[in-house]
Amino acid sequence: MEVVLLFAMVIGLLLIGVPIAVSLGFSSVLFLLWFSDSSLASVAQTLFNAFEGHYTLLAIPFFILASSFMSTGGVARRIIRFSIACVGHFHGGLAIAGVFACMMFAALSGSSPATVVAIGSIVIAGMRQVGYTKEFAAGVICNAGTLGILIPPSIVMVVYAAAVEVSVGRMFLAGVIPGLMAGTMLMIGIYVMARVKGLPKGDRAPWSERLSAAREAGWGLFLIVIILGGIYGGIFTPTEAAAVAAIYAWFIACFVYRDMGPLATAEGQSNTSLLKKPQAIFTAIWHKDTVDTLFDAGKLTVTLLFVIACALILKHVLTDEQIPQQITKAMLAAGLGPVAFLIVVNVILLIGGQFMEPSGLLVIVAPLVFPIAIELGIDPIHLGIIMVVNMEIGMITPPVGLNLFVTSGVAGMPMMAVVRAALPFLAILFVFLIMVTYIPIISTFLPNLIMGPEMITK
Amino acid sequence: MSKQATSWTDRIEETLIAAILGFMTIVTFANVVARYGFNSNILWAVEFTVFLFGWLVLLGASYAVKINAHLGVDAVLNIVSPKARKTLGMISVTVCIIFAFLLLKGAWDYWANFANLPATTGRWFPTGFEENYRPKGWYETDDVPMPAILGFMENIFNDGDEYEKLPRLIPYMVLPVSMALLLFRFCQAGLKLWRGEITMLIVSHEAEDSIEDAAQYVKDN
Repeated sequence: MEVVLLFAMVIGLLLIGVPIAVSLGFSSVLFLLWFSDSSLASVAQTLFNAFEGHYTLLAIPFFILASSFMSTGGVARRIIRFSIACVGHFHGGLAIAGVFACMMFAALSGSSPATVVAIGSIVIAGMRQVGYTKEFAAGVICNAGTLGILIPPSIVMVVYAAAVEVSVGRMFLAGVIPGLMAGTMLMIGIYVMARVKGLPKGDRAPWSERLSAAREAGWGLFLIVIILGGIYGGIFTPTEAAAVAAIYAWFIACFVYRDMGPLATAEGQSNTSLLKKPQAIFTAIWHKDTVDTLFDAGKLTVTLLFVIACALILKHVLTDEQIPQQITKAMLAAGLGPVAFLIVVNVILLIGGQFMEPSGLLVIVAPLVFPIAIELGIDPIHLGIIMVVNMEIGMITPPVGLNLFVTSGVAGMPMMAVVRAALPFLAILFVFLIMVTYIPIISTFLPNLIMGPEMITK
Repeated sequence: MSKQATSWTDRIEETLIAAILGFMTIVTFANVVARYGFNSNILWAVEFTVFLFGWLVLLGASYAVKINAHLGVDAVLNIVSPKARKTLGMISVTVCIIFAFLLLKGAWDYWANFANLPATTGRWFPTGFEENYRPKGWYETDDVPMPAILGFMENIFNDGDEYEKLPRLIPYMVLPVSMALLLFRFCQAGLKLWRGEITMLIVSHEAEDSIEDAAQYVKDN
């Protein structure tokens, strides 16, 4: 009974506009003070322990930082050029290239809105120039952008891994096949639409353009090798991989692409060579662009992690009061099977995902449903992927999908227009969700193949 | 009038956020380099970065209040009348202030003993200071070495005994400091809301400010 009160309070506070972090923290603190013997000091301890005790979470600021350097450093532009060179000549080529570019950027960054902003701004403008409607362009990017959290690295996966204590490496691997699948399904959908509607196709790029675009984009895309190769080659932990990625991204942006930092020049001119300005090696470290990017990434880290830290207070309450165990018992007593359970999880997350930032929602829901899932024999990694895909769909369903907002801002369109534009592609992702939910092998195949079967400890 | 002062604190806070994040990245990276390049781990790297991480987020939380960057749900706020929005805003800010206050008490209670100070008594609100407590000023971190410059602390907190590692009271100090700042910023935000300078405490998503630039780009092309 008290649990209902707790969650009612969280939701009530959220709806009247209390920051997510405070809604979670405040409800948990009141609950603890009313119903348990815990002291406020233990709450403060939990708050600090959110950082001290979760080394995994440390990957988040580094991934955010790497992604910020990628966005400001001109990686997005080069990836788009590369994907247009690859698939631009199909019917609906630019739209397909947009999806392809989103997939590649998703493999560098861990967040969906970031992917929409980085790729969307360039691709939407480009698509309109060659005669696509703004609606179609927005619909494509809005959906493809959600791949940001499914294709590794992914901030949401790091959060899930930290919340239920599974391996981040496994989660990342598990996202690869579903991510490629979702991207391919979207591309096929666009191709079919393009044939039906007769959408424009671009010229076939000559191989020289393809190669030069690939070489340019290659510097950025090599990051994927560093991150995944580093983690699975056992060279470093996911957290270290993220830090190395951040430093690498900074290096590429400042010294190879030279679109930011001391070697950058005004648009249109070629950037200064390092040989002409060798002192840049040092000045780049405290150059305004570097500091600004650090600050932006830091700000984002603060807002996201404060939510997560407060959600961990709530998790502390749930664990203390053995609430997940009680719910598990009730659900099993009601004769709930795995299929019905997964539907319930889908519905909870779809509704929640529309109102809330994904990582915050995940920290609350994951510890709640995780023990039930284990009891029902569902693979923890599979559950994680289901949750991530649900978040994706939550981001593009009205009334308040996160990506809808971002896209409507980027494209300068009213929200409802974006909703309508996103609808056909949303249907594709929905089919994808059903597939991922009921065919576990899609998610578990790769991690089990590479890292061996999972040991499930209760 | 107070513009000068605001930008001055702004700069400190912004630089601090950038510097802590940069430092965390460099230390973690250096640890990888040390392991492969020099075949030796930086023993304190992990613990030290994790502490910095906590500092970054906890101190940053109050800055996020100041610039209205905390994430929230604005679905309801966007459809109600401005008057109702203000009322809801004032309720929200009250909740935030109470929360920050409770956390400040908790943070002090937790930290105080590490600094050989008394925690407060009382369950909800501080009613006084405890008389008997066990000072924990001797309690050290696991790996972070003690910088010589902090040697004066040995006399104050450790009966003159030498610290081999950094005492815990230093990393934990961020708790009361950041919560006091948070309380202060929420009070300030409440005042601004009351005066109508801001309409809500939250933003609905993380990418809010990068959107404007992107939208400008789409428009221009």
